[in-house]
Amino acid sequence: MSNTFDLLSKTEVHQITSLVKTLDESTFDYLQIELSGMKLTIGKGNAPMNGMAAVSVAAPISATAAPIMAPREVISAPVAIAPPPTAKQASAAKDDGTIAVVATTMGRFYSKPEPSAAPFVTVGAKVDADSTVGLIEVMKLFNAVGAGIRGIVTEICVEDAQFVEYGQVLLRIQPSEAGSGTAKKK
Amino acid sequence: MNVSRVLIANRGEIAVRIIRACQALGIETVLAVSDADRDSLAARLAGRTICIGPASATDSYLNYKAVVTAAVATQSDALHPGYGFLAESPELAQACADNGVIFVGPKPDQIRQMGNKIQARILARQYGLPTLPGSEKVTSYKEAVEIGKRIGLPLMMKAAAGGGGRGMKVVTDINDMQQMFTSASGEARAAFGDDTLYLERFISNARHIEVQVLGDSFGNVIHLGERDCSLQRRHQKLVEEAPAPNISEKLREEIRQAAVTLARNYGYENAGTVEFIVDQDAGTFFFLEMNTRIQVEHPVTEMITGIDLVQEQFRIARGEALRFAQSEVIFRGHAIECRINAELPQQGFRPSPGLITEWLPPQGPNIRLDTHCYKGYTVPMFYDSMVAKLIVYGTDRGEAVQRMLRALEQFSVEGIDTTIAFQHFAVSHPDFMTGRVNTHLVENLIPQMLAAMNSRQSA
Repeated sequence: MSNTFDLLSKTEVHQITSLVKTLDESTFDYLQIELSGMKLTIGKGNAPMNGMAAVSVAAPISATAAPIMAPREVISAPVAIAPPPTAKQASAAKDDGTIAVVATTMGRFYSKPEPSAAPFVTVGAKVDADSTVGLIEVMKLFNAVGAGIRGIVTEICVEDAQFVEYGQVLLRIQPSEAGSGTAKKK
Repeated sequence: MNVSRVLIANRGEIAVRIIRACQALGIETVLAVSDADRDSLAARLAGRTICIGPASATDSYLNYKAVVTAAVATQSDALHPGYGFLAESPELAQACADNGVIFVGPKPDQIRQMGNKIQARILARQYGLPTLPGSEKVTSYKEAVEIGKRIGLPLMMKAAAGGGGRGMKVVTDINDMQQMFTSASGEARAAFGDDTLYLERFISNARHIEVQVLGDSFGNVIHLGERDCSLQRRHQKLVEEAPAPNISEKLREEIRQAAVTLARNYGYENAGTVEFIVDQDAGTFFFLEMNTRIQVEHPVTEMITGIDLVQEQFRIARGEALRFAQSEVIFRGHAIECRINAELPQQGFRPSPGLITEWLPPQGPNIRLDTHCYKGYTVPMFYDSMVAKLIVYGTDRGEAVQRMLRALEQFSVEGIDTTIAFQHFAVSHPDFMTGRVNTHLVENLIPQMLAAMNSRQSA
């Protein structure tokens, strides 16, 4: 119990702290988030009734996250109304233990640093959390996409130079060792 | 210029409104949505949607690069910005031009010039429009004190980059100048990233009257009459009507002509609105500013002219000449619009987002509802609180008022708090009923309404 917070990365703790602050300044009484393997309820007063989480909480998290780091499936975190069942959403929900790396901005996805170069990653490649897996270009501005987690690339879901929407799944990573972002302390 | 596909860079009721205009014109629609709006009504009605960013407007609806990229990527010929968000962003209009996308609105320079309220005042004066006694750019409170002494108190402090009432202060005592100057420039800096202020004489018994204009790329300019938008709370309009009640025909014509004079001399293209303040005691009017976009309250003009303004915007944007001369615009009857917001008036109009559990809007002849809401929709917390615009038409103002009252009574919404009851109180107030409106009426009504509600509860 004493090491509960060791399960969370520094970024996650920071995100939760910002959520508390956001809630504090809002007119809402509580907010509830469910992420893979974690359920979080923050509130000011009475505990919420089941099924009453009325507001999407995806934004505060992604807004506070570092731009490059794709925070797991945060973008498709549960909202009150189910998102439309697009192919993209369906693939994001794959339940094989892999983690989706999603587009943190809309734009053109590049799998290579330059047209003649080798791709950043291919299926089977080992990546660290800070590895660059691609670039997304919006009006000549290139944003690096980070893996966000240590593991092995199992699938690349988009073509080089394909236009991607915000939140679209770019590739999937099988996390190495203890899975879903659990940061082991020595 | 052909427009066969348009990207709509907005959300809510205006996105729905633009999609309907496109459907009528046979134009394909692509809707740019944020992550929070993927399943909105507009998203369902649009030909396709494209998610441009997260819920936060700064990273989605206010990101002009994302919006233009989306237009190019979807091979849209044109982009309609709606109102709010990037509707008056010269950067967006310019980026559209640079990328071969038709911006449904005026030229980037026109947006830029009219967006600077000091420059707009100078332009209006050049074309002979009356402007309020006031200043150009004021750089220090000491200068403000000097100007205050010259033009007299009370005066209004305004942000040059202004809009929506932010950075606006009424100064009634010259000793307050320093404190007001500091807080107004701070507000302006926070809201617009520009703390430039200017001063204007403040008119206490004032009405807000604005004129709808349309201009095409051949230099033709017409007006579609005026709207009275005097019922405001914190400079946000609540009730709008057309035509303006209780003004002389002479004054009405002068105001309409002033708007046309400005737009014609300026070579204004597309739909725009010239705003005036009318001094009821003196019977005079002054230019305030020009809005270079379609406005929230455009439906009241549509109701009394029978002209679909959004469709005309597209026709102008694709290079057609105006389809009617001034003499062919026929005004008929009276229209009123109430903005229904998800707010709780009893608690200082606190926003009330959440799940709509019941949505039963009024129906019947001459009732129009522009909305993106329905039963089961969750009003997100990220955006504007407006959930619907209720518009009614009557052969005269009295009939329109009665129809509005019945329509408000029949509008049933559960799950979120709304301003429906407050609107009913405002429209049924003797001052509104008799057309004795001014820009302070709403502020005066709020305590009366709260008292009435409390006595009803205790009875």
